[in-house]
Amino acid sequence: MLRSALVPCKDSLSNTNLLRSVVGGFGNVQLKRNQSTQPATQQEVRPWSPHTKDKNNLAEYAFARLDDLLNWGRKGSIWPLTFGLACCAVEMMHIAAPRYDMDRYGVVFRASPRQADVILVAGTLTNKMAPALRKVYDQMPEPRWVVSMGSCANGGGYYHYSYSVVRGCDRIIPVDIYVPGCPPTAEALLYGVLQLQKKVKRMNTLSMWYRK
Amino acid sequence: MANYFGLSAITNFFKTISSHGGLRASLAKMYRMDSVRMGTCVGTDKYGNKYYENKSYFYGRNRWIEYAPYYALEYDGSQIPAEWFGWMHYKTDLIPSQDPSRPQYKWMTDHTENLTGTPGQYMPYSTTRPKIEAWSPTKA
Repeated sequence: MLRSALVPCKDSLSNTNLLRSVVGGFGNVQLKRNQSTQPATQQEVRPWSPHTKDKNNLAEYAFARLDDLLNWGRKGSIWPLTFGLACCAVEMMHIAAPRYDMDRYGVVFRASPRQADVILVAGTLTNKMAPALRKVYDQMPEPRWVVSMGSCANGGGYYHYSYSVVRGCDRIIPVDIYVPGCPPTAEALLYGVLQLQKKVKRMNTLSMWYRK
Repeated sequence: MANYFGLSAITNFFKTISSHGGLRASLAKMYRMDSVRMGTCVGTDKYGNKYYENKSYFYGRNRWIEYAPYYALEYDGSQIPAEWFGWMHYKTDLIPSQDPSRPQYKWMTDHTENLTGTPGQYMPYSTTRPKIEAWSPTKA
């Protein structure tokens, strides 16, 4: 069970949750006891930007806004490279089809790794294909992301104990988003892409450059 | 007759705008939800999300959600609680209040949205030695 998923985000920095983060997943007994079944009626409006900076430090604030601008551009045009290896590739085709229509999020399949931002690893990664995957990943320009799609790419899945299958593509390349399922529905993959957009939104490239 | 010449589209356009409370409000809705649709509000969940339906749209587009205002633009599919998931996904036509066969146990926990990327996220950890050795290409 997702034990820590029981903690609402807003009070994740309270004392009890601090305790939980210190002692691992077992410290939220008290938090569970204190949780209310009443709906939280008045919640704060969520800010658009994850980078909340004080306006007193004008430079930091400016760089945070520049980061927002950069991330907005990046997340609105995530171009994936198709790396269809098995049946997951059929679902990957579906998100390009009119029903799910990834184009409305600015997600357009590219055939060349040089033009791609994301690689969608869809399907079983075999030992034979692993060097090719690494090579294709190395050819992608920075910044680049990886979406691992389906049980096989996440951790070997059904073929985990096979002699010829890599037990998860994260043994070859660093993965940003894992989409579970066998195969995941096109809806799930699209949700994964949206999660990647959120991740891109949290990037702070320019702020880190300034801080250095 | 008006229907035949497609004039109903024009009247529907003005009806939709007036049902949202004017041009400004419609544009705000367009900005937030990427579409302005006329529908009846069939229910509200405890988080403040509103669920709409308009059968005149085709299947798949005839049910939609307007997320609670405090989500602003940070809305997400996982903010739909489990009670409404089935209705939103056409698993059932009965909204939670009309369905008598929904189990309600006191041990059922409250719904949470996807906390990935927040401090509340699930982070698995292992106590065993890693089986694989990371490759560092700088050494080569």
